[in-house]
Amino acid sequence: MAIIERPATAGGVEIAPPATPSRAQGGFKRPVATTGWKSWLFTVDHKKLGIMYGVMAMFFFIVGGIEAVLIRLQLAAPEGKVLSASVYNQMFTMHATTMVFLFVMPMAAAFANYFIPLQIGARDVAFPRMNAFGFWCVLGGGIFINLSWFLGGAADGGWFMYAPNSGPIFSPSHGVDFWTLGLQITGIASLTGAINLIVTVLNMRAPGMSLMKMPVFTWLQLVVQFLLLFAVPVITVALFLLSFQRNFGATFFDVSAGADPLLWQHLFWIFGHPEVYILILPSFGIISEVLPVFSKKPLFGYPFVVFSGAAIGFVGWGVWAHHMFASGLGPVSVAVFSISTMAIAIPTGVKIVNWTLTLWGGKLRFTAAMHFAVGLIVLFTIGGLSGVTHSVAPSDTQQTDTYYIVAHFHYVLFGGAVFGLFSGFYYWWPKMFGKTLNEKLGKANFWLMVIGMNMTFGPMHILGLQGQPRRMYQWTEARAGEGFFNLAFWNQIASIGSLILVVGVLLFLINVVKTARSKELAPLDPWDSRTLEWMTSSPPKEHNFDVIPTVHHLDEFFHRKYQQDPVTHEYKQIATAEEILADQEAHADKHIHMPSPSYWPIVLAATLPIITTGVIYSIPVAIVGGIFLVLAMFGWALEPSTAPETDFDPPAAGESTKELAPLV
Amino acid sequence: MSTTTRRIVAGVSGLAATSFLASCAKDAPQDTWQPKGSNAKIIDDLQQPVFAIAGVVGVIVFCVVVYCIIKFRDRGQAMPEQTHGKPALEIGMTILPALILAGVGVFTFRTVFDLSKTSDTQMVVNVTGQQWWWEYDYPAQPELGITAPIITSGQMVIPVGTKVLLRETSRDVIHSYWIPALNGKRDAVPGRVHTLRLDADKPGIYAGQCTEFCGLSHANMRMETVALSKEDFAAWVANQLADAKSPAENTLAKEGEAVFLNQCVRCHQVNGLKKADGSPAIAAPDENVWSGAAPNLTHLMSRNTFAGASWDLLNKKCRANVWGASSETVGKKYLAGVSEECLNQTDLRRWLRNAPAMKPMYADPTQLSSTNGKYRGMPNLGLSEDDIDKLVAYLSTLK
Repeated sequence: MAIIERPATAGGVEIAPPATPSRAQGGFKRPVATTGWKSWLFTVDHKKLGIMYGVMAMFFFIVGGIEAVLIRLQLAAPEGKVLSASVYNQMFTMHATTMVFLFVMPMAAAFANYFIPLQIGARDVAFPRMNAFGFWCVLGGGIFINLSWFLGGAADGGWFMYAPNSGPIFSPSHGVDFWTLGLQITGIASLTGAINLIVTVLNMRAPGMSLMKMPVFTWLQLVVQFLLLFAVPVITVALFLLSFQRNFGATFFDVSAGADPLLWQHLFWIFGHPEVYILILPSFGIISEVLPVFSKKPLFGYPFVVFSGAAIGFVGWGVWAHHMFASGLGPVSVAVFSISTMAIAIPTGVKIVNWTLTLWGGKLRFTAAMHFAVGLIVLFTIGGLSGVTHSVAPSDTQQTDTYYIVAHFHYVLFGGAVFGLFSGFYYWWPKMFGKTLNEKLGKANFWLMVIGMNMTFGPMHILGLQGQPRRMYQWTEARAGEGFFNLAFWNQIASIGSLILVVGVLLFLINVVKTARSKELAPLDPWDSRTLEWMTSSPPKEHNFDVIPTVHHLDEFFHRKYQQDPVTHEYKQIATAEEILADQEAHADKHIHMPSPSYWPIVLAATLPIITTGVIYSIPVAIVGGIFLVLAMFGWALEPSTAPETDFDPPAAGESTKELAPLV
Repeated sequence: MSTTTRRIVAGVSGLAATSFLASCAKDAPQDTWQPKGSNAKIIDDLQQPVFAIAGVVGVIVFCVVVYCIIKFRDRGQAMPEQTHGKPALEIGMTILPALILAGVGVFTFRTVFDLSKTSDTQMVVNVTGQQWWWEYDYPAQPELGITAPIITSGQMVIPVGTKVLLRETSRDVIHSYWIPALNGKRDAVPGRVHTLRLDADKPGIYAGQCTEFCGLSHANMRMETVALSKEDFAAWVANQLADAKSPAENTLAKEGEAVFLNQCVRCHQVNGLKKADGSPAIAAPDENVWSGAAPNLTHLMSRNTFAGASWDLLNKKCRANVWGASSETVGKKYLAGVSEECLNQTDLRRWLRNAPAMKPMYADPTQLSSTNGKYRGMPNLGLSEDDIDKLVAYLSTLK
C-alpha cells in the first residue's frame, strides 16, 4: 500500500516492482471512483483526508464554541440560571474535551496530513490506508462522545476526570463511559497517525532534504508525533482502568478497596502535559513558516527553533506534577517539578526571541496570516509569562483551580494554538483550494478575535487573583467584592468578550463561504513563499509533484526563485513560480504510482463504536462488533496493494503504470 | 529578602502593569494578594517579584514586537539580508532567562520547604471534606483549653497568632481546602491525610471555597476560617464543649425538638439531645448518607453560615455588622452568635422546605442506585409549614 518514493539505488540492489494483481482478492474490489462522495468516503489521499480532518475539526470548534458561550452566559451574572448545576458540569467537561480532542488536535492533524508530504516533497504518507482509518476513528470517536448528550447526559467530571469523582458511584450516568470509550477510539487515531507521520518524515523526504533542511512546520509536527506516540499510551492505560472500574467492577481508584486516587492524576498528567505541547507545537510550526514568508527573511535561528522544539518535547515529560502542586505530593516532588517547569520556559522563550528577531530587519507584509502570527507572539507570551508565575509552586497553590489558570491556558491555547491555526488557514488556503481568502474580512476576523479573546480571557486573570475558583456553576455576590476588581463587572466583561469572539469566528465562516463562491483564482505563489509545498499547482495534483524535487537548501523554493549575486550579495529573482512549475510539468515522471482508495479504513473504524456501545449497554453487541473488527482486519490484510487495471474506467491500456520512475 | 532587594523589586513592580492589580483591590474576600497570615505572606513575598519580572518581560516583548511592526513594515525597501541567525545572541538569550529562573528557583525551593514544615505546630484540627461541606474535628488539646474533642462544620475557629496544622482528608471524592488570605490550597484526598499550615495575624472572618471540582454542588462548598483573640477563642471553646440544652416545656421550640427527633436526628447529631424516653439520641448518618456524615448541629447558631457555608444564618444587616467589623470588635460580635432578630429566616426556611432545590444534591430516591439508596446531600423532607415553624424555633436555641 505504501508508495516507496525512492527506489534504493545505493549498492545497485534491484527492488521488485510492486505486485500488480490481476484480480481483486478479499471480499471487495478496491474502489476506484475519483469523483463524487465515494471518492471522499474511500479515499486514502492525504490531501482529501486533510480537508476532511479540517471540516470535522471546524464543526467541533463550533460545537465547543457554543458550549463555551453557554458557560459564559451562565456566569455573566451571579446565581446564573441559564444552566442547571448538572448541565453546567457537563458543559465545561465537554467544552474542554471537544476543543482539545476534537478541534485543536484534529485541526493540527489536518495541517500535518495535508502539508507534511508536500513540504518534504513526497507523494503521499507512508501508510495511506492507515491515514484514512485514523480520520474515521476520530470522527467516530467524536460523534460517539457527543451522543451521550442525547443518552442520559454527557460526562460531568471535568476533562481531567479525577478519580474517584469519575467513578460509577459519583457519576452514575453513562456520560463518563461515553467519554472514556470515545477517547479510546480517538486515541487509536492519534497513535496510527503518529506512526504514519513519523515513518513518512523519516523515510520519504525528497532526495537531498536532510533533517536540518526540513521546513520547521514539519519538524515541529515530527516532535508532536513523537509526543503522541509516547503520551497516548499512558492515557489509554488510564482510560482502560477507568472503563474497567465503571463497566466491569474493577477497583483501581476505589479508596475503600485500598486504591490511591492520585494514581489517576499521575497517569492523566503524564499524558496531559505533553498533550499541551501536542496542542501548541503545530501552531508554533505554522507561524514559523508564516513569519519568514511575510518578513522576506529566513527564520531567525532555525536550528535553535528546531532544537528548542525538541527540547520542549523532552522536558515536557518532566513537568506533569505541576498540575498537582496542591494535591499533597510532598515538598521534594513539588520543588523538583517547580524547577523543571521553570526550565521548560527557557526553550519556549527561545522561540519567542527567534520569531521576534525574524521580524527584525525584515520587510513585513501584514496579510491576515501575518496578523494572526504576530498576534500569536504577543498573546502566547502573555500566556507563557502567566505560566511562569505558577511554575513557582507556592504561588501556584494560590492560583491553581482559579480563573487565573483559565486565563493562562486560554492565552496559550486560544492566543497560541488557535491563532496559529487561523494563521495557517489564511496562509495555506490558496494552496488547498486555489482561492485566496478575503484579506479584508480576514483582518476584521483577526481584530474581532483579538479584542474578543482579550476581553474574554484577560479579565479572568483578575477574577482568579480575586479568588474566583473554576468549575463553579454559579458565583455569588457574597464573594464578589466591591472595588474596581469586583467579580461581577469582570465576569460581565468576559461574557461580552465571548460574544465578540463568536462574531469573529462567524466572520471567518462567512469568509470561507464567500471565497468558495468567488470565481477569482489565487496566483500560483501568492505570498512569495519559501518551501516546497508551493512548488506545485494549487490545489496540488493527486500525486503532488510531477517531478520529485531534489533539495539543496533549507527554503528550497526560495532558492529556486532567487539567487544571490556573488558580488553585491543581493538576492535577485531568477525564476517565477510559474516557470518552475512549467519546468516540472515538462519533465514529469512518466510512471507515477499512487495508492488506490479502499473500503477497509472506514469499515474497520466503524466497528469500534459498535464495540464501545456494546461495552456500555450490552456485551453481546460488543462481541458482534469485535467479530466485524476481525473480519475487517482480514479484509484489509487481504486487499491487493493496488486495484487491477480492469477496475479502472476506462481501464488503463498498454503500458504498466504501476512502477515508480527511478529518480535521477 | 533584604530591604534593598525589596526596594528594587518594589520599584520595578511600579513599572509592571500587574502591580496595578494589587494596589487597587478592595473588599474581595478571596483576594489572593492580601495575605493575612504568615504562610500567605511568604507566598506573597515570593510571588510579587515574579509577577513584576513577568510583567517587565511581557512589556519588553510587546514593545519590541510593536517596534518591528512599525519600523520594518514593507515600504518597498530592498529584500532584507537573508540572515539565518546569530548564535552568540541566541545563546545569550537562552542563558539570560535561565539565570533569572535559577534565581526564582532558589527562593521557590526555600518557600516550598518552609510551607511544608510541621514541627512548629501549636494546634491541630482534623479537617474532613465530603459532598458538599467541611467538618472540623478538634482533638482534645488541654493546653489550649480543648479538654474534649470538638466537632463543628462550615466555619473553623482558630486563635490568632497560633500555628495551626490542618490534617485534611475526605470521606468521598477529592476536595481542596483554601483560605486565600491565610495560605494556598491543599487537596483533601480520601484515604490520605495531607497537612496544611494556617495562622492568622489578626482576628477576622476569612472566606474560602472548595477548589477541587467535587461534583454536582462544587460551587456550594464554601468555608470560613474565623480567627479570634486568645480570650475569645477560650470562650468559644467553652461554649462548644457544652451540650445543647433542651428548650423549656410548652414552647414552640420544644415542639421543634420533637420534630427534630422525628426527622433530623437520623443524620444530624445534637450533643445532649435526649429521646422522649430519656435515652441519648444518636444520629446514624452512615445509614442514610453515602459519606457517612452530616453536620453536627449542637452549636448551629454559633456559626453564621450553613449548608456548606453557602448561605448566611445572619440576615443582611447583621451579617454586614459582623463581617465588616474591625479586628478589635469582630470577636465579640462573632461570639454573640445568631440571635432571633438577626436570623436569616428566609434562607433557613427555604432550606428546610426543600434543601435540594436550593443546593443541587443527589437527593432523588429514584436515582440512588449507584449508592445503594443512600443520599449524597440532604433530601427534601416534605415538612409541613407548621413543622418548619417549630424547627426554626428549635434550631434558634442551638447557640
